[in-house]
Amino acid sequence: MSGACGANRRTPRPATAHSEPARSGRGAVAKAAPVNRAALPWLRPTVALLVGAVFFVPLYVVLTNVIKDGPEISTDPMGLPLPPTMDNLVAVMTRPDNLFWVSLTNSVVITTSSVLVLTVLSAMLGHYLARTRSRWARVATVLLLCGLMIPPQVILLPITEVLGTLGMMTTIQGLVLFNVGYYVPFGVFVFSGFMRQIPRELEEAAAIDGASRFQTFWRIVFPLLRPASASVMIFLGVWIWNDFLNPLIILGPGKGTTITTGIYRAIGQYQADFGTVFALMFLATVPVLVFYLALQRHFVKGLTGGATKG
Amino acid sequence: MWAFLIFGAPGLLVYVCFVLAPILVSVGYSLTNYNPFRPPTRFVGLRNYQLLFDDPEFWNALRVTTTLTLIVVIVPNVLGLLIALLLDRRGWFYNGLRSVFFVPVVLSSVVVSIIWTRMMADDGVINQVLRGLGVADPPGWLSDPDLAVYSIGVILSWQTLGFCVVVYLAGLQGVPRDLLEAAAIDGAGPVLRFRKVTWPLLAPALTINTVVQLISAFKVFDHVQVITNGGPGEGTTASIAFTVLRVGFTANRQGYASAMAIVMLLVIALASALVLKFLQRREVDL
Repeated sequence: MSGACGANRRTPRPATAHSEPARSGRGAVAKAAPVNRAALPWLRPTVALLVGAVFFVPLYVVLTNVIKDGPEISTDPMGLPLPPTMDNLVAVMTRPDNLFWVSLTNSVVITTSSVLVLTVLSAMLGHYLARTRSRWARVATVLLLCGLMIPPQVILLPITEVLGTLGMMTTIQGLVLFNVGYYVPFGVFVFSGFMRQIPRELEEAAAIDGASRFQTFWRIVFPLLRPASASVMIFLGVWIWNDFLNPLIILGPGKGTTITTGIYRAIGQYQADFGTVFALMFLATVPVLVFYLALQRHFVKGLTGGATKG
Repeated sequence: MWAFLIFGAPGLLVYVCFVLAPILVSVGYSLTNYNPFRPPTRFVGLRNYQLLFDDPEFWNALRVTTTLTLIVVIVPNVLGLLIALLLDRRGWFYNGLRSVFFVPVVLSSVVVSIIWTRMMADDGVINQVLRGLGVADPPGWLSDPDLAVYSIGVILSWQTLGFCVVVYLAGLQGVPRDLLEAAAIDGAGPVLRFRKVTWPLLAPALTINTVVQLISAFKVFDHVQVITNGGPGEGTTASIAFTVLRVGFTANRQGYASAMAIVMLLVIALASALVLKFLQRREVDL
């Protein structure tokens, strides 16, 4: 963005920045003017509400079209759904090929097993790397961090062959295994960062009391890592649930669909019937939306851990 | 040693098997003419990379990806900052709005793509509204080859805007009030206060938003696959991530696709390293 480019020069430190206007001659008459005194108190909420409303339009379209009759969706997509109909939702849930239920089950199984394995493995690995001071550990950390930005395109071709040789192509186990490898860098990144807040002395004390390293980790460290575990589980949960490319390639678009590839298959088959497609999307989104609304606080915390210093 | 076997080995092993080794294999493939349906596979040296240089499909993919990346880095960053400034107040009203802006971030890109495909269809919501306002011939947002890539940019911006808003809001909450008050006492108006106090302190938020948007925009695949399938016309929205998979899995030219993927990886790595370095230099400590 242009502001960033313009700020190429070293930005003045804020501590000195605020004294600059004083030099311009007005400092002597400075009064304690309250910051952000609003001249028009209703202006901010009104503008905020308007912007929010415009932003919300696409979501409104889905929400209303789920409970609207098929023909009305194309003629009057913005109108209120009166009278509301449950036909679309019922149609999705009673499809003869069980697309919704099969996809839902697959997504739940894939997401929970991937996330659980990832949390345990990356907590142990992050702990190990944060507490080991060998050169190899540092090399491994750097290699893992590189994994954060690798696009799946670079590895998918060989992976289909590896999974094919193992007989795990188009299986849920194969996809879970891939997810674990692909997302382990994120988990390690979060856990090893969080490890810095946990005093080494705790572990040393446990060791002196006779606990093995394994016991120390599970009884002392892992419970203390709970906020990091929450971040990892939330983000990986949403990412893996919403993942489209990897299930498309590894599971294929056929029988073993996840929620996302299932929706993709449904639009291919029923191009015209958007009532059903919207209902399917709605049902597919409800779990992740409930998850988000319930854990909103952790979401924001996890996202913004690095946004503020200190 | 035991500690490594128990704690380090399992995670590292899966990572090596499913990420590091496949990258090396891809590098190897990129030096061959590998095509599973056209044996024999021969070593061709850097020929695939030379071919890339003269391949209009590849340059087109790079151009599409660059366009999308510029849109997705700039638009959500600017709008996100403005909206964050607007929502930087306490209370249920502003918290609720923040949640609304964040919802698309947790939606699947397939869902977002289908919603917008309907919205932007030639007879979709947007054009119905435009016709209602008296526009006789509203544009084909997704069917016009000159327009489609920008429409996808808009869709991506809508989906990622909430991320930028939340990160900027957190940054704003980290700006100490006494600094702003001191600046106000010294006679600084709102604009000057923003430029000299708030904006420098938002540097870490800007870094996060820019790098995250950059990397995610470079990998855009889902939206292209679902919304336009690379069209309309000849590859007008075919991003690099989309083209790699088309060449690799649909055309089965796996050696050539691997070379393309390696170039993609190098470009992402280089771009994000440069941007990170540049932006982190202007971060200040309190």
